[in-house]
Amino acid sequence: MHFVSSLRYAPAILVGRAVRVLARWRKPGGGSAIPGVVVNRIAPGFLATTLNGFPLGLVIVTGSSGKSTTTKMLVAVLRAHGLNVFTNQSTANISQGLTSALLERVNLSGRIAGDVAVLEMDEGHGALIAESLTPRVVALTNVMVDQIDRFHDSEMVAALLAKIAARATETVVLNADDRYLADLGSSLDATVRVARYGVTAAVLGQYPRGLGYADTAANRLPAGTGLQLTRVVGRDADVQFPTGDRSIRLPARGIHYAVDAVTALSTAQATLGESFSPSVACASLSAMPAVFGRGEVVTVRGKTIEFVLVQNPSSFQLNVDSLEAGTEQILMIIGSDVRDPSYFWPVDTSGLGHVLIASGLKAHDIALQLAYDNVAVERIEPDVPTALDAFLALPDPVSGVKTIIFSADGMRRTRAHLGLVSNAEDPE
Amino acid sequence: MTATSLGRPFTVVSLLPRLLDTNGDAGNARVLAQRMRWSGHDAQVVDVHSRADLPGQVDAVSIGSGTDAALLPARDGLRTLVEELRVWSNNGVPILAVGTGWELLSWGVDLADGSVVEGLGLVAGHAVPRATRATDDIIVASKYGRLIGFENHARDYVGAEASPLGRVVHGTGNGDQATGPQIEGLTMGEVFCTHLHGPVLARNPGLADHLLLAAFSRHGLEYSRGALAVSVDATAQAARNQVAVRLGQSAEYPNAGNEKPRR
Ligand SMILES: [Zn+2]
Repeated sequence: MHFVSSLRYAPAILVGRAVRVLARWRKPGGGSAIPGVVVNRIAPGFLATTLNGFPLGLVIVTGSSGKSTTTKMLVAVLRAHGLNVFTNQSTANISQGLTSALLERVNLSGRIAGDVAVLEMDEGHGALIAESLTPRVVALTNVMVDQIDRFHDSEMVAALLAKIAARATETVVLNADDRYLADLGSSLDATVRVARYGVTAAVLGQYPRGLGYADTAANRLPAGTGLQLTRVVGRDADVQFPTGDRSIRLPARGIHYAVDAVTALSTAQATLGESFSPSVACASLSAMPAVFGRGEVVTVRGKTIEFVLVQNPSSFQLNVDSLEAGTEQILMIIGSDVRDPSYFWPVDTSGLGHVLIASGLKAHDIALQLAYDNVAVERIEPDVPTALDAFLALPDPVSGVKTIIFSADGMRRTRAHLGLVSNAEDPE
Repeated sequence: MTATSLGRPFTVVSLLPRLLDTNGDAGNARVLAQRMRWSGHDAQVVDVHSRADLPGQVDAVSIGSGTDAALLPARDGLRTLVEELRVWSNNGVPILAVGTGWELLSWGVDLADGSVVEGLGLVAGHAVPRATRATDDIIVASKYGRLIGFENHARDYVGAEASPLGRVVHGTGNGDQATGPQIEGLTMGEVFCTHLHGPVLARNPGLADHLLLAAFSRHGLEYSRGALAVSVDATAQAARNQVAVRLGQSAEYPNAGNEKPRR
């Protein structure tokens, strides 16, 4: 174990904290990456030294999709095992945001009270800062054709993930159903253990369009060689452990949440080793509150609403496909985060049938796509508060619940307008 | 007496959509078929993965863009259709090729490592590596109206100077030439090649309707925009205007520019 106990970083930490107070003062309630910028400038080794110094090491979760949910699940499982976990929320610039987050918890000797650090990393920024990090465990979720204005090719994403995986000192946890990750696993240094997880052929067979991976591996994981998802129906899923099958209740409906859960379980097992308990792990997963915006059902102004967050074309398609048939009241909010309207164009939205309002900065673009998919759009209202008020004012639907499908920007605007607070795990 | 119907569904083929649909450009086939239906005619999209899938009659062709990993398999796939492509382009069947799909119709693609992927040689010019990827909104002044789309390409295109699709108003287009006008795309008869990826025909119905005019007139049929298309095109115009205004250009209004096929 290596504790960081020098006062090397004390001046930088103090400056960073002062800047943080000033930044908050200027913009009440707003978190800011500025203190991180300042500390990274005056003490560039602070981030790596602190992150590498946890007794049970550093765990990195990365991949195209599902890393945020997987990270939250993993943190819940580790906490249920009694660990004090330091974790981050995803930010655009991970090193500055992380440094700011660390500043809140660090003492002047540069140490943080905690047993283990669990970090969600964007594949691009992660590959940039990974060189200075020595994670014990790296978990890889998948390679999806995603964020096309930043990473055009799956090969490029796979190469970035390989760079992060190469930093693992003990275990790389990976999705064996993803062909890029399966290949990556067989090319890793022999000193690193590879923990594979996946779904059964029967589960895969339930999804004729596949699970959204850029390329699906030809073969499923042989039984007994890793954690396997053996069944998923609505919010219920079964996972096969070496000691037998266990059931879990997912925080939201959908195959991708079930796969995220198996990723989290497999990563927890790699992190905890002998101390890992399948029963504790499954109980803590099942007890998780629904993640905001990810299939959560809330009551606002006396109306029941289901939120559906779409973050990439694959999750968009899976969400459209798993929407309750006959959902008659749908509001779609696509915001400024979707810069290129082509982004969602590969998705077949025809299953939606009928959308009441298209909203957000990209309201016209999404309405255009829906029109060509034969989805009737009753109203286009780019202003999100106006659209939300009109949608909520309508009487309850006869079939299905009021459903709001949004991009991350649409979610933020919805949350702000409806005065909804997020989960404690997501304090952004 | 002029014909009012084709007597069979109009058939739009989408070539190699498994390999060439990175940005959903294969959806342009769907756009053409929908606009045919909205104008009161039966239409179908046929996905062509190999020669065996080719329908007996072809009225329009869409070729999308793929990743570089798919360049060779896509080229080999298109090569098996080279005779048909030649016949279609000679007979005035409208063909839209986007990004990689366009590059593969050219003389060839120069890769950054110095190797060359030989193209089908159907259109003049070839693709050459760029220093940095061009990723941005793009605005093009063309005789089919002001085209607005999104480009994302790691290669320039050299050799389209004689017959470009239009002039670049914002963005990169065929490349950063030090001299001469900035141009985008390539046209040859009814073959249209462009870097504007994704839903280029949905966003720019002026170009879509030009392709449809070509497809209809081959059969002596008149194309007129359906009522539903008129309202959908207003949505497209609002989407285009939003980009234009953000980039410091003026907005357009109905019956100006794009909304009429030609002025
Ligand atoms: Zn491209």
